[in-house]
Amino acid sequence: MRFKGTPKSKSEKVFTVVAYIVMTILGLICIVPCLNIFSKAISNGSKVTAGEIYFWPKSPQLETVKYILTKTEFFTCLKNTLIVTVLGTFISMFTTITTAYPLSKPSFRGRKFFVMLYVISMVFFGGIVPAYMVVNTLGILDTYWAIILPFAIVQFNMFVVKSYFEGLPDSIEEAAYIDGAGDGQVLFRIVLPMSTPIIATVSLLYGVNYWNNYFHAMMYTSSPNMRTLQVYLYDIINNNQAMMENLYSGAFGSNVGKTLENITSEGITAAAVTLSIIPIIAIYPFVQRYLIKGITIGSVKG
Amino acid sequence: MKKGLTILVVMLCALSLFASGGKEATTTTSTVPELKGPGNVTLKRLGYNVGFDVNNDIIVGVTEESTGYKVEYYALPAQNADEKLLMEVASGKDYDIVNLSVDQWRTLVANGALLPLNDLLDAYGQDILKGNTQDVWKALSDEKGNIYGVAYMYPYDTEVNNFMIVRMDLLRKAGIDEVPTTLEGFYNMLKTLKAFYGEEYIILAGPYKNAANGSNSLVFPQIISSAFGISNDWMVDENNKVYYMSESEKFDELVSFLAKCASEGLFDPDWAANTTASVTEKFASGRAIIACGDRNLAQAAIPTLMSNQGLTEDDFGFLGPLEGEDGVCTYQESLNIGKISAILKNSKNAADAINWINLKIQDQLFINIGVEGVHFYYDEEGQIAPINPIFADERGNSFYYIDATDAEEFKFEWPSRIRKSAAQWLAFENVTLKTNAERPEVFVKNPFAFMPASENYAKYNTTLLNSLNDFVLQVMAGKRNVSDIPTYMSDWKNNGGEAVRAELQSYIDAQ
Repeated sequence: MRFKGTPKSKSEKVFTVVAYIVMTILGLICIVPCLNIFSKAISNGSKVTAGEIYFWPKSPQLETVKYILTKTEFFTCLKNTLIVTVLGTFISMFTTITTAYPLSKPSFRGRKFFVMLYVISMVFFGGIVPAYMVVNTLGILDTYWAIILPFAIVQFNMFVVKSYFEGLPDSIEEAAYIDGAGDGQVLFRIVLPMSTPIIATVSLLYGVNYWNNYFHAMMYTSSPNMRTLQVYLYDIINNNQAMMENLYSGAFGSNVGKTLENITSEGITAAAVTLSIIPIIAIYPFVQRYLIKGITIGSVKG
Repeated sequence: MKKGLTILVVMLCALSLFASGGKEATTTTSTVPELKGPGNVTLKRLGYNVGFDVNNDIIVGVTEESTGYKVEYYALPAQNADEKLLMEVASGKDYDIVNLSVDQWRTLVANGALLPLNDLLDAYGQDILKGNTQDVWKALSDEKGNIYGVAYMYPYDTEVNNFMIVRMDLLRKAGIDEVPTTLEGFYNMLKTLKAFYGEEYIILAGPYKNAANGSNSLVFPQIISSAFGISNDWMVDENNKVYYMSESEKFDELVSFLAKCASEGLFDPDWAANTTASVTEKFASGRAIIACGDRNLAQAAIPTLMSNQGLTEDDFGFLGPLEGEDGVCTYQESLNIGKISAILKNSKNAADAINWINLKIQDQLFINIGVEGVHFYYDEEGQIAPINPIFADERGNSFYYIDATDAEEFKFEWPSRIRKSAAQWLAFENVTLKTNAERPEVFVKNPFAFMPASENYAKYNTTLLNSLNDFVLQVMAGKRNVSDIPTYMSDWKNNGGEAVRAELQSYIDAQ
């Protein structure tokens, strides 16, 4: 343990410098592609096609962004993703907490059996086809429920919450029971207020999972107006060339042809990606500490 | 690996489902379902993925206005489309029309998921039947004559879809006023440019590998191989014998020519590593004088060069199929089935689905091209010219909604769709239309255009094509030479070359 003011040894100084250099390089590796994408999204189309854009925009324009916002289903897909993320996180937290709480009580009869059921289903996945058939049989294909219900409970998250509940002192709950509180009141009025950190952390894990979920949204929905942001992004990236077809209409130098200067297939992809990550970037600073905490909890008790 | 396993699992499950539910297909003798009629039914159509909302495009209303049918449109995802399709069909989704790639269609036919259409076409699809040739219908049928789909043919069979775009402003500075039409002229042009510009420019950027399969993914320009009488990976000689490109008598000359150009610095040094994007970037940024490409390259690069470097239309030239020493020039036609629309066995509205497609063909000019005087006009040569921007706004996405066409009529109508882009039209006019007008004899038919799926071809041909590309690249890089062709051919045989040939030969013999 080092006390404040104790001089660093030479090897420690070297380590600090190396650490800073490595961290700077890693930071740049993360930030540089983002800068490149952002710059392409708002640069002149001709410069983008000619490969002149690296980390700073040239001849900035917002027509590509405007095109994405007005001519594609960005807002519909954003709305779908927000509904799935908010509703899904709420449902998942409800099921996770109401499952984890009884399983955290040693007095719960059949506890080991139920825990085993969750462990088995965590380790062995039934497969894509059976999962699809379950969703199909439930008649929820092509609805929000098809994207939400398969994740209504993630066993790993449930076990993390269960571990946290097990660590809470029994005496407080016992005092509540003595005062006449029922199980529900104890859970919602005593235990949950004491579990804010784990609830915030697991909510974030669920939220990120719903936000980033591409595969299930792709598999379980067919209607274009049910697409989530991740599916939309894939579609944009795969179809940017076809989307350009109509934009290229018109003679050289005409007003229609003028659009060319600013919108390119690469620019469309870059703008869609940039717009899609804005909500996450906006929220991330506020929830960052919970995410880090979540990783720590998972590594110690998971 | 994971993806492969997933596909396998999906295929197996889908197969078992189809097997349990499907009956052996026979030529239908049952009574033809009756029409419910426009206004009495809502059809469901599943198509491939596109970048726009397929239910909100103007064409949806246009088609409804024309046919009277209300249709709900669904799209497969951009990724994992095949798996999703199999899953949906196996789970009994009740789409009426599914618009499929040829491979997807073959899978569904093999699994008994599609409805034979013979009686329905006779009753409600006379215009669909007239729209394509017997060759096409044969390709859409099984050995018992059951028709399992209707085809949307590639609209322009004599299109030169791989060509080169040339910076004429730079050629003129080097003292060249016209683009060559012969291989010798082409080589001389490259040499002159190299001598004049040295290392200042990349003389020829390529290859432009824009397709996942077939001859389009070759690593050398087809307009060069045309001069050696090589038009495709598999060809048929005058005695109906099937042979591979590398068995062509002039293959060694082709490879030697490519190697000579590469060793003299006439080709981009990054030839082996280039992609469509890098070739576009090199040409659009002005670093390359000539680029291999297609209409997409023209669309991306020409306006960029005009904007960034102040070039005009006159500053671009186009190279089509080149002629060899003895006047040889062969370029394979693009005749092939683009998409197939089929009716699922689960469809409750099969008769109306066929009737709807038939009604669309009857009104294909209005639906796909528009109204004369509003969306298009006939130019002085009688060709259809689009009126922009309304053509793009109101008919721009009609391609997605096509299930079948009157192929002959559509060949006349379709170029207007290219014409809505000045850059694409510039290339199309200077290469395809020019070649059709001046040298129509260069086009050769693809003898395998309508060949049904075959096991060994599916199994080995991609490997054969890849090893051919590898060999050519190695020769171009100086690591191997033409004397290694026998060794390469030995590997070719070990890689399944003979097995594929046997299949193709039996197909040709049966014609």
